[in-house]
Amino acid sequence: MRKNDSITGSFDWILFGLYLVLVVFGVSTIYSVAYNPENPSIFSFDEIYGRQMMWVGISLFLGLLVFLIDSDIYRKFSIPIYLFCLALLIIVLFMPPINGARAWLGIGPFGIQPGEFAKIGTAILLANYLSSFNVKQQNGRTVLVSLAIIAIPMLLIILQPDAGTVVVFTAFFFVMYREGLTFDPIVLKIVNIIPGVRFKSTWLGTHFIPILFVVVFLLVITLIVGHTPLLFDAYPGHEFSGYWRMFAALLTTAIIGYLLMRWLFSKRDARRAFIVAILGFSMSVLLTATVHSTFKSLPSHQKTRIELWLGIYEAEEGTGNVGDGADYNRRRAMTAVGSGGFTGKGYREANIANTKTNHVPECETDFIFSPWAEERGFIGSLVLVVIYSIMLLRIVAIAERQRSKYNRVYAYCVAMILFYHFAINIGMNIGLVPIIGIPLPLFSYGGSSMMSFSIMIFLLLKLDSQRKDVLN
Amino acid sequence: MNFDTRKYVIISFFIITGLMYGIKLFYMQVVDVDTWKLEAQRIAEKRREITPPRAVVFDRNGNKVVENKTYYNLMMVEEEMIDFDTLAFGKLLGMTKNEVLDRIEAIKEGEGKYYNPHTKKKQTNYQRIRPYAFLKELTADEMSKIAPHLDRFHGFYEEVTSMRNYPYSSGANILGYLSEVNQREIDNDKFYKPAYKIGRAGIERFYEKEFRGKKGVKYIITSARQNTVGSFEDGKYDTTAVQAKGIVLGLDIDLQAYGEELMKNKKGCIVAIEPSTGEILAMVSAPSYDPNLLVGRKNINKYYPKLVGDLNKPLFPRPLASEYMPGSTFKLLQALIGMQEEVIYPNSGFPCNKSVVGCHNHASATSVTEAVKHSCNPYFYAVTRRIIQQGKKKSSFEDSHIGLNIWAKYMHSFGLGVKLKTDITGLRAGNIPDSKYYDHWRGKGQWKFSAIRSISIGQGEVQLTPLQLANVAAIMANRGWYYTPHFVKSIDGKGPHPEYLVKNRTMVDTKYFPYVVEGMRRCVHEPGGTAPMARIPDVVTCGKTGTVENFKLVNGRLIKKPNHSVFIAFAPMDNPKIAIAVFIENSGGGGGTWAAPTASLVIERYLKGEVKSKAKEKRIMDAKLSLWK
Repeated sequence: MRKNDSITGSFDWILFGLYLVLVVFGVSTIYSVAYNPENPSIFSFDEIYGRQMMWVGISLFLGLLVFLIDSDIYRKFSIPIYLFCLALLIIVLFMPPINGARAWLGIGPFGIQPGEFAKIGTAILLANYLSSFNVKQQNGRTVLVSLAIIAIPMLLIILQPDAGTVVVFTAFFFVMYREGLTFDPIVLKIVNIIPGVRFKSTWLGTHFIPILFVVVFLLVITLIVGHTPLLFDAYPGHEFSGYWRMFAALLTTAIIGYLLMRWLFSKRDARRAFIVAILGFSMSVLLTATVHSTFKSLPSHQKTRIELWLGIYEAEEGTGNVGDGADYNRRRAMTAVGSGGFTGKGYREANIANTKTNHVPECETDFIFSPWAEERGFIGSLVLVVIYSIMLLRIVAIAERQRSKYNRVYAYCVAMILFYHFAINIGMNIGLVPIIGIPLPLFSYGGSSMMSFSIMIFLLLKLDSQRKDVLN
Repeated sequence: MNFDTRKYVIISFFIITGLMYGIKLFYMQVVDVDTWKLEAQRIAEKRREITPPRAVVFDRNGNKVVENKTYYNLMMVEEEMIDFDTLAFGKLLGMTKNEVLDRIEAIKEGEGKYYNPHTKKKQTNYQRIRPYAFLKELTADEMSKIAPHLDRFHGFYEEVTSMRNYPYSSGANILGYLSEVNQREIDNDKFYKPAYKIGRAGIERFYEKEFRGKKGVKYIITSARQNTVGSFEDGKYDTTAVQAKGIVLGLDIDLQAYGEELMKNKKGCIVAIEPSTGEILAMVSAPSYDPNLLVGRKNINKYYPKLVGDLNKPLFPRPLASEYMPGSTFKLLQALIGMQEEVIYPNSGFPCNKSVVGCHNHASATSVTEAVKHSCNPYFYAVTRRIIQQGKKKSSFEDSHIGLNIWAKYMHSFGLGVKLKTDITGLRAGNIPDSKYYDHWRGKGQWKFSAIRSISIGQGEVQLTPLQLANVAAIMANRGWYYTPHFVKSIDGKGPHPEYLVKNRTMVDTKYFPYVVEGMRRCVHEPGGTAPMARIPDVVTCGKTGTVENFKLVNGRLIKKPNHSVFIAFAPMDNPKIAIAVFIENSGGGGGTWAAPTASLVIERYLKGEVKSKAKEKRIMDAKLSLWK
């Protein structure tokens, strides 16, 4: 094994730059949201912005530490690291609950959430397992072992309970998909029970994960958007039901998807892309219609339960909320985002998403996108969405240039976890995703998420910088 | 197998998500931005209206008659009530523990219920996070005992409000009172919000718009708990509340108070007017009440039912709304109209024959002046007969028809039978019967003068309010014209209202007045006059008594009740300063017995500043008249 002379090796400055930009944006937003004229210094530890600065400092230090250690260590110690994470997840179950969940280890504001770090441990072990020489991708056993690696921490987190982090763990399914793991053996076994049916492979089993994702996503979107009709002020009496909006959105997506596929794929594949687009579109419409009619036929108490889960209505009792109590958090966050307008209200001018007015609860953590969007407007929001998108694509690019499978799997894990956080967090701020309490990566206030995402990204940078040293 | 193409699935997930979010953000922040801006306004920007204290009122001498006093509400926010020690709190307020809890329960229920379409339940409007008044309208004294201990009770704080205060405790029927607006008033005028105060009677009601001032508006940013966080855009759109400018009345509050003192234990009225301006100097309605009793919700709840239930009707503004027969005071007008119509002459004489109407014993009057002095009933019967039956038609029925209408027109020119345009609410017009009136009640062509003769001596169908009668006194003082009686002299140095600068001429020429006025002087100052008790040393007073007989239908039988005592006067005879009308209900005796001395005391007090006729004063003050209940 050849060692590079430089400690940085071939360092990916783009990813590091994006990381720094997000951290700076995040701290500035926390400062704006929680500004207290009595402690105006950004280093004032009495305020959350001061503490976030501290966490950023600690994270950078941890990142440097990660960078100094040889990347091979992480591979070799992947099982102990994973087990250590599991141990923490077990210990945390004996801690006193905070806000109804036993997610915190430590005291007060300096506690950490093992759940955040368990993602890294799982990513390392999954990468290690999938890159082992004796693993066959098409094997049902491989799928089951991978699922087990993901499911054990998931189960422990369900016990806390922390639904948001549990959802994030499904990100690893996509990594499995990318690595060619297939659910086909399982699907085939079920399908071939039917007499006369003898499939050798099914499209459903091969692309099980993305299809499942699309189905769940459409299901949720249908239920959320289908509820809110679009009213036209200029033409009173004319309303555009949520389901028509869904239809319009699906059509747009199909056309954009088709164009994208044409652009990305070779000419020969274009015809196939067209068929996929048509097929996907008609299936989606069918699915939406099914969900709609099924939901309508449900008894009302079940409807209410689903609505509560989706955050369409919030339980009124004990919230202390003014007003209708319906869809409170999402609606407040959306109000903050929407009222930002094109250019935004200006730095520190947010009225809705602000810890002092507190119209948007948790606007320094889970709902931090809303103050950002309220202050910076559409331009700022788009910039943030573009930064995250570039970051994700950059990580995919990094992943694809790795010689070692271990590195690639890990990089995809990072990409997918970041994507989940980004998509869910911003999605719930703009009313496309149910309220799932997870932080916006590198942006939201909180030590554990800051540290875990920093370690995750610095580890990726380290692996990437040593990619040439590794023989596959 | 190569799965590298699967990276495109993941990349397309990333790109589609980014695009979708971009589109949704564009839709929210650019296309649909107004919806969200409005929603943001509704949530966080509150428009707080600041109502200024109502205008302060001064009397003609610059005494403050109505002022504003600071009061406190003890507010509570249930959400902030931590470790609430009800026992200690009750002790501080002088309540028991249960009373405290009951009060909180009452607040919760008092907020009303509404149907919540989301929970599909009826629920109360009450919210734990909103402030409500635990106790309302505490005085500064009461609050100073509570305030120092409030820091022990979280969620309680004091709030300043302003309420009316009447330093003189008199003039209640003039000034009126305030109470909370009702739903109709809120709907009709955007100025009002629930719990706002509005003028309910008197000038507070008539001049509501002038009293309430201009509201200020403050745009503030509020938190989810409805606390003020800051002003919106540094108060760029804020306006300040402007209190209405001071209002000066023509009223003399000392005279008013003195009049009320004189009218104690009596029912009736005193109305005094400055003839040269038409300003009302005093308007006593007896019995009255202390205006401070109807300040604030607490007091209104306690005293209003008592005042309404009082058989003496203290809330009823008698001088404006009580219609009395004027009695003999009416004869002045008959004489004037007769002379103007040239059916009699200043030196016309009629025998006091008592054939149709009764009279007291006196020598037959040989002139209008003497007739006024003696208040001779047959004389004025004859005069009025000549006015009403002028011989223009052969049929005496048709003749009366024409004559009565001419007579009524004269009366209207004196402000009788019509509503005066005085600046107060609750006025009534009285009644001057005309042909239509009798046609209605007696049938067309079924009546002539002999049937309606009572009106010649101010009885029968004739009815006027004391204010109108005082105005007649002012007309006498001015010898033929009047300014509409009014209360407000000026608002913010401007005034009075142009309407009150218009001289209203009566249809009787000034040249006829001296004969009647001289009669009025004799009435007071000459032996044989009916009002010797109205004499004031060194002042030439002109007056006319009235003794109103009145009957009441009780169980189908007419019962004669004690007479009303009436007196109108003005003084001094030359360049008069005060014109007055006094009514004392069911006093018994005549106009000269009670009303005349009362009027003279008021005149003396006004002209000289003090009353030297102590014996007269004591007699009036001690008298308990009017079938007092």
